[in-house]
Amino acid sequence: MLIEARKLRKYFSLGHGKQVHAVDDVSLGIAEHEVLGLVGESGSGKTTFGKTLIGLYDKTGGQVVYRDRELPQRYQAQDYKRQASEIQMIFQDPYSSLNPRMTIQEIIAEGLLIRDGGNLGSVRDKVVYWLERVGLHGDHLSRYPHEFSGGQRQRVGIARALIVEPKLLICDEPISALDVSVQAQVVKLLGELKQSLGLAMLFIAHDLSMVRYVSDRMAVMYLGSLVEVGPADAVYFSPQHPYTKMLISSNPEPDPVHERQRKDVIVSGEIPSPVNLQPGCRFAGRCPLVEPHCRLETPMLRTVAANHLAACHLL
Amino acid sequence: MNSYEPAAHEFASVARQPGLLTLTRPSQSYWQDAWLRLKKNKRALASLYLIIALLLMTLLGPWLWHQDPTLQDLDVISQPPSFGDTALVVADPGLWAGVTADTATLVPADPDGKLVLTATARIQTVGAATTQYVRVSWDSVPGAAFYLVYRNDHAPESGEDLGLPLGQTLAAAELSFEDRLQLREQDYWYTVIASDEIREATSFTTERIHVQRAITATQARERLLPAPLGATVALQSHPFGTDSLGRDLFARIIEGARVSLFIGIVAPFLFVLLGTIYGGISGYFGGTVDAVMMRVTDFLIALPFLLFMILFRIGFGIGPGESGIFPMLLALVLLRWEDPARLVRGQVLQIREEAFVQAARLLGAQPLYLIFRHMIPNTIGPLLVNLTFSIPMAIFTEAFLSFIGMGVAPPTPSWGSMSNDGLKSMLSSPHELLFPAIFISLTVLAFNLLGDGLRDALDSRMRSRE
Ligand SMILES: Nc1ncnc2c1ncn2[C@@H]1O[C@H](COP(=O)(O)OP(=O)(O)OP(=O)(O)O)[C@@H](O)[C@H]1O
Ligand code: SF4
Ligand SMILES: [Mg+2]
Repeated sequence: MLIEARKLRKYFSLGHGKQVHAVDDVSLGIAEHEVLGLVGESGSGKTTFGKTLIGLYDKTGGQVVYRDRELPQRYQAQDYKRQASEIQMIFQDPYSSLNPRMTIQEIIAEGLLIRDGGNLGSVRDKVVYWLERVGLHGDHLSRYPHEFSGGQRQRVGIARALIVEPKLLICDEPISALDVSVQAQVVKLLGELKQSLGLAMLFIAHDLSMVRYVSDRMAVMYLGSLVEVGPADAVYFSPQHPYTKMLISSNPEPDPVHERQRKDVIVSGEIPSPVNLQPGCRFAGRCPLVEPHCRLETPMLRTVAANHLAACHLL
Repeated sequence: MNSYEPAAHEFASVARQPGLLTLTRPSQSYWQDAWLRLKKNKRALASLYLIIALLLMTLLGPWLWHQDPTLQDLDVISQPPSFGDTALVVADPGLWAGVTADTATLVPADPDGKLVLTATARIQTVGAATTQYVRVSWDSVPGAAFYLVYRNDHAPESGEDLGLPLGQTLAAAELSFEDRLQLREQDYWYTVIASDEIREATSFTTERIHVQRAITATQARERLLPAPLGATVALQSHPFGTDSLGRDLFARIIEGARVSLFIGIVAPFLFVLLGTIYGGISGYFGGTVDAVMMRVTDFLIALPFLLFMILFRIGFGIGPGESGIFPMLLALVLLRWEDPARLVRGQVLQIREEAFVQAARLLGAQPLYLIFRHMIPNTIGPLLVNLTFSIPMAIFTEAFLSFIGMGVAPPTPSWGSMSNDGLKSMLSSPHELLFPAIFISLTVLAFNLLGDGLRDALDSRMRSRE
C-alpha cells in the first residue's frame, strides 16, 4: 500500500458538547498506481476523509501510514513541506481553490517556487508546459482566475497540483462542478496523466458510473463510515450492502433499455446528520431490510467475495 | 417522415477554427478591474473628485488664498459673502462740531406755555452718507426743546415703527446728529422727532438716506491702499463672508480643513492598522487566543467614548477652552480599532479555510508566506472600504467634539468649532454657520459615497461567482 488509513477518525466539534462524526474509524488503503473511487451522498464525509488523510485536518483518532512511515497526527508547516512532492490535492470547488489576487502563472508556479526558490522567469518554461498539458493556452499566463470558466479553473488546479510531480493525488469531485461535456474532458485528462505519471489517486465523486469507469477499486461511505469496498466492477454490478444497492439503483443508467429493465430499490428518506450518533447500523433508519438487531450492534466490514468487503449484519 | 441530413460543415470541429477559442478581452488585474468598475459609478467618481479637490484645497489653499485666517478686521464683522466690492475713501471722522442753530432764530414758546409745533424738521445729510459715518442735520422746529433721532431699515408705517433709537440732542439749538452705529451699505430711513420738555406734543419727519460703502483714510493706509480722499478703491473680497470678528471665512475654512482632514484621515489609518494587526493575529491563531482577544474587543465597545475623551484631556493637562488635537487622536485610535479588528479576524478566519490556502499549505507554504501572499491581499479590499467609511466617522467625531468645546479651541479653526461660533449668530448672519456645516456635510457625504462605490467595485467574491 502507498498510503493507508487505519481506523481514521475525524470529529468536528459544534460546541455545547455536540460533535459531527464526519469520519468514523475508516480503514482504507491505496496501492501504488491505483485509483480508488470514493462515493457516497452529500455529507457522508468523503471530503473530510480525503483532507484528514493528507493532514489538512487534525486527526481525532487513528493513523495514516505513507510508505511505511506514520504521518503526524497534527501537521506543522514543516510536515506539509516534507510531503509536498508526494501528495497533492485537487479541490472540490474550482472557484475558491484559486487565489483571486494571483495570476495563473503565479498560481501554477507556486509549488515550484516554494520548494526550490527562484522566480517566475526561471520556472516559466515548466509552467507553460503544464498549462498546455492540461489544455490551456500559453498566453493565459498573466490572466486572473475570474477570467476563466469553472472547467478551465479546474485545469489550473490540476496543473498546480501536478507540477511538483506527486505520487498520490486526491481528486475531490474534480468534475461535479462542471458541464457534462467538460466532465468527460477532465476525466480523460486525469486518465492520461495517471498513465504517464504513474499516479495513485483517490477519486471522490457522486457519479457512480463515472467512478466505475476511472477506478480500480470503489469504496462507499455512509454517514462517516465505510459500508462497502471492493473491485470497481464488482461493487457496481453486484453491490452487497443495501445502501450501495440503493445508490446504484438511483444512479440513472446511460442505456435506456437497461434503465427500464433494472429492478429499482426504492430510495427513501434523507441522509440524517452525523451528530452524536447512537450505536447500531447507521443505515438502520432508511434500510428496507432493517432488523431489530441492526439497531443494537454496529456491523463490521467482512469479506463477501474476493477483495470485496461490506458492513451489514445480513451478509 | 422525412429525416434530417446534416450538412458536413455543420459538424466541422469548432475547436479547429483558429482564433475561436482564444479570449479577446485584455487581461485585468484585480485593481485595474476595480478601477474600471468604480469609474462606471458616477456618484462614487464625483465623490472621489470632490475629495481630491478638498485635499488640494487644504494643501494649496494657503498659497492661492492669501488672507490670514487669524486677522481680525472689526470693520467687516459678520459680513455676508462679497466679491469685488469697492469703497469710497473718506476722511477720518474726527470730532464733528455739528450744526447749531442761531439762538435768535429760535421761536419762543407759546405765551400760554403750550407748545404748538407748526413745522416739522427737514432732514439733510452733511457730506457723503457712508458706512463710516452718517451726519444729518435738520431745520429747527419752533418750540422744540430737543430732538430724538431714530433709524430704520424700512420706511416707517406709523409713529410706533421708527426703528432703532439712536439718541437725542441735548438742547434745542443742536440741529444735527452723527450716526456711527454698525452701518451697512443699504438704504436707511432716518426719523427726527421734535419734542417739548414734557414730551407732550411731538412731530416727526422721515428721510430716506442711501449709505455708501466707505473706508477712512487711515484704514486705507493700513490696508496699503494708497488712495486720496474721495477716490474709489477695491476692497478685499470675502467669498464666504466674514465671522463675528471680521476674519475671512474662506481662509478659515481652508485652515479648518487641516484639522478636520488631519484627524479624519490620520486617526482611521492608525486604528485600521492597529485593528488589522490585532484581528490578523486573532484570526490566524484562532482557538483560545482568538476567544480571549475577542473578549477584549467586546470590553472595548462598552467603554464610553466621551468619558475617555475627557480623561485623556485631563491626563494631558489640557484645560477647558484649550486645543487638544492629540487627546482626540488618541481617543479615536484607542477606542475605534475594534471594528476593523473584527472585520480582519472574520476575513482571516474565512480565508484560512479557503481551498487556495489549503492548496498552498499542501505545497509547503510557511505561515508568513500564507499571511502575506494569500490572506492580506484578500483582506485589503474590505479593509479599504472600512477605512473609507471610518474617515467620515472620524471627521464627524472631530466636528462634534470641537462643536461641544472638547476638541480644538480658538484661535485654531476647525469646521466643528467654526460651526459652534456660527451658531451664536445663526439668525442675523446665517453664512457663518452655513459654510462650515456645508463643508462637513459634503466631506462626510463624499467619503460615504466613495466607500459605497469601493465596496461594490472591490467585491471580488461576488464577481468571481457571477
Ligand atoms: N469544518 C467543518 N466543521 C463542522 N462540520 C463539518 C466541517 N466540514 C464538514 N463538516 C460536516 O461533516 C460532514 C461531512 O462533510 P463532507 O464535506 O466531508 O461531506 P462530503 O461527502 O464531501 O459531501 P459533498 O458531497 O457535499 O462534498 C457533514 O455533515 C458536514 O456538515
Ligand atoms: S445492518 Fe441492518 S440496517 Fe444496516 S444495512 Fe444491514 S440490514 Fe440494513
Ligand atoms: Mg465534499
